[in-house]
Amino acid sequence: METLSYIILVPMVYLAAAVFVIGTTVRLVNIFKAPKHPTTLQIYPAKKPAWLWALHDTFLFPTVRRHKPLLWVFLIIFHACLLLLIIGHLELFGDYPILQIIPHEIFLGKGMVGLLTALSLLYFLFRRFRSPVRELSVPEDYYLLILLFLVVLFGSQMDWARNWYYYDGMTVDDYRTYLGSLIAFEPYLPASVTESGHSFMLLLHVFLANLFLIFFPFSQAMHAFLSLPMNKLRRG
Amino acid sequence: MDAKTRDDLLGLFQSKLNEAMRFYLETCTRCGTCTEACHVYASMGQVRYIAAYRHEIIRRLYKKYFKARGKVWPSVGESKELTEMALEELFDAAYSCTGCRRCMLYCPFSIDTQMLMSIAKLLLIGAHTEPETLTMLADMSIEKGKSIEMFKEGFIQGLKRLEEEVVAKWQMEAGEAVIPVDVEGADLLYVALAGAHSIIPAAAVFNAAGEKWTLSFFEAVNFGAFVGDPTKTKLILERIVNEAKRLKVKEVCICECGTAYRVMKQLSGKQPFTVSSITDVHARYLKEGRIRLDKSKFNVPITYHDPCQIARNGGVIDPPRYILQHLTDDYRELSPEPAYNWCCGGGGGLVALGDETHDFRMKSARVKVDQVQGTGAKILTTACENCHAQLSDLNKHYKMEVDVTFLSSMVADALVPA
Repeated sequence: METLSYIILVPMVYLAAAVFVIGTTVRLVNIFKAPKHPTTLQIYPAKKPAWLWALHDTFLFPTVRRHKPLLWVFLIIFHACLLLLIIGHLELFGDYPILQIIPHEIFLGKGMVGLLTALSLLYFLFRRFRSPVRELSVPEDYYLLILLFLVVLFGSQMDWARNWYYYDGMTVDDYRTYLGSLIAFEPYLPASVTESGHSFMLLLHVFLANLFLIFFPFSQAMHAFLSLPMNKLRRG
Repeated sequence: MDAKTRDDLLGLFQSKLNEAMRFYLETCTRCGTCTEACHVYASMGQVRYIAAYRHEIIRRLYKKYFKARGKVWPSVGESKELTEMALEELFDAAYSCTGCRRCMLYCPFSIDTQMLMSIAKLLLIGAHTEPETLTMLADMSIEKGKSIEMFKEGFIQGLKRLEEEVVAKWQMEAGEAVIPVDVEGADLLYVALAGAHSIIPAAAVFNAAGEKWTLSFFEAVNFGAFVGDPTKTKLILERIVNEAKRLKVKEVCICECGTAYRVMKQLSGKQPFTVSSITDVHARYLKEGRIRLDKSKFNVPITYHDPCQIARNGGVIDPPRYILQHLTDDYRELSPEPAYNWCCGGGGGLVALGDETHDFRMKSARVKVDQVQGTGAKILTTACENCHAQLSDLNKHYKMEVDVTFLSSMVADALVPA
């Protein structure tokens, strides 16, 4: 068990991070290296400035708001929570004053962020069981949603335990010790991380998150990077 | 399908993979927001007509042959082998899509279905299973470009008869220049279609406005674009570009033909002339006071169908409305937002295929009929040959009891003599 948890918490994390960074970069470079389309792909009437409207389209999903309002509510919740979760995780690496412009506890959101993310993922998953989205979906879509749901669920459990049940066997400082050592390439696993009552949750969370990061560059999740240039094409 | 054929087809596929195409192939999350976007789905309710479903037919081949997962983990994206059956599926997807790009207003990533369908169309050409009629028409256009001297005499003879009609109807002075051809140094080159209805009214308006114009030897329509053959599209286009350069015109004006306008406007590149649609030009004449229209000519409610390639995809949205202000006090919009106008159901070569596609065109455009009937208009006017043909078919089939007209003809009919 010790070996297994070491593999998941150390070498596999390095592998996942490497695949994510290198894979995403290489794929993006390959896509952007391809020749540009010779004509405009714009839709009219045009609004100026195009780049501002492209940003608007990318971050506020106005087309979904108009045509699928309920989906839009969950999409906005999900993506906003995702941003908060990224900030939360960054703060597990160290203190960044810029992230504390609005002072908050680490992990921010008192457990609500994870809960909302999990609920929206369930909504995304269940709507895929219904026609016509069912007929449009491919296995990848289900795998990604289930994977993300499990990542969020196990991750949130640790947060919920600390926030709602006053569990303090694993603290922010313990995470910082562990993640800080990974960054410094001197991996060190404190006993509180590997032997506390919540270690198995951490292990599952990290394992599933690793899988997600490894799959990311090859999946539709790349829309995170491609949405802006694509919306720019429509806006001209 | 033998290996050689497949390799050739995949080579064609590869040739379409520019940056935008890769965006479109990589990004779809299959969220289903586009479900209600397509007029075919809205009319017929079959899942295979949803934009994302059409995309996925192309994307499955892409995943199989152009992504590592096609070898490592084919089932994750349901990669699919390129077979005869796959070609049939491509045909069904490509020739039920009119390329109207209404779905781009639904997609959060603005995936261009017309672009993706262009892969399907190119593969069909490669496999010689495209609609032959379209290729034949495209080849005829190209042939005409090569041997224009042979056609010239007959063309000019034909015009003589049309000139008489123009003179009779608009009581102009019969001169040499009722329908001028081959005039070097003219300001405007008008590219019409092979039909009197596309030449006579246009001539009347140009002459009334005192335009220094000349008629192109070539017809505007680009069958190469319909069948999705980039090389032929370019050859057909170049005939007109070369003529415009030879005559040193300042402006090329495209008749009421959506595809021709979009191809000329967007694909001709940087040229010494500007490109406009005849609707643009008529609106300009009105603005400059070069022509006047009699508002009492049409005393019934009028609605205007925005041709997809001219409005949503070409940007000519305000000029037709400006013209209609001078034609009627009872103008009725088809769609509260012109960009969301339903396609007539005849684009992408479907109308050009005639009876072959008639049944499908009627079934797939029911939403268009509802939209027209919802306005209560008695005249349904438009600025595209394809749309006009399809709307006329719908009018007959669904007994809509409207007059389907060309906007340019209405302008010509309502001309007030100077």
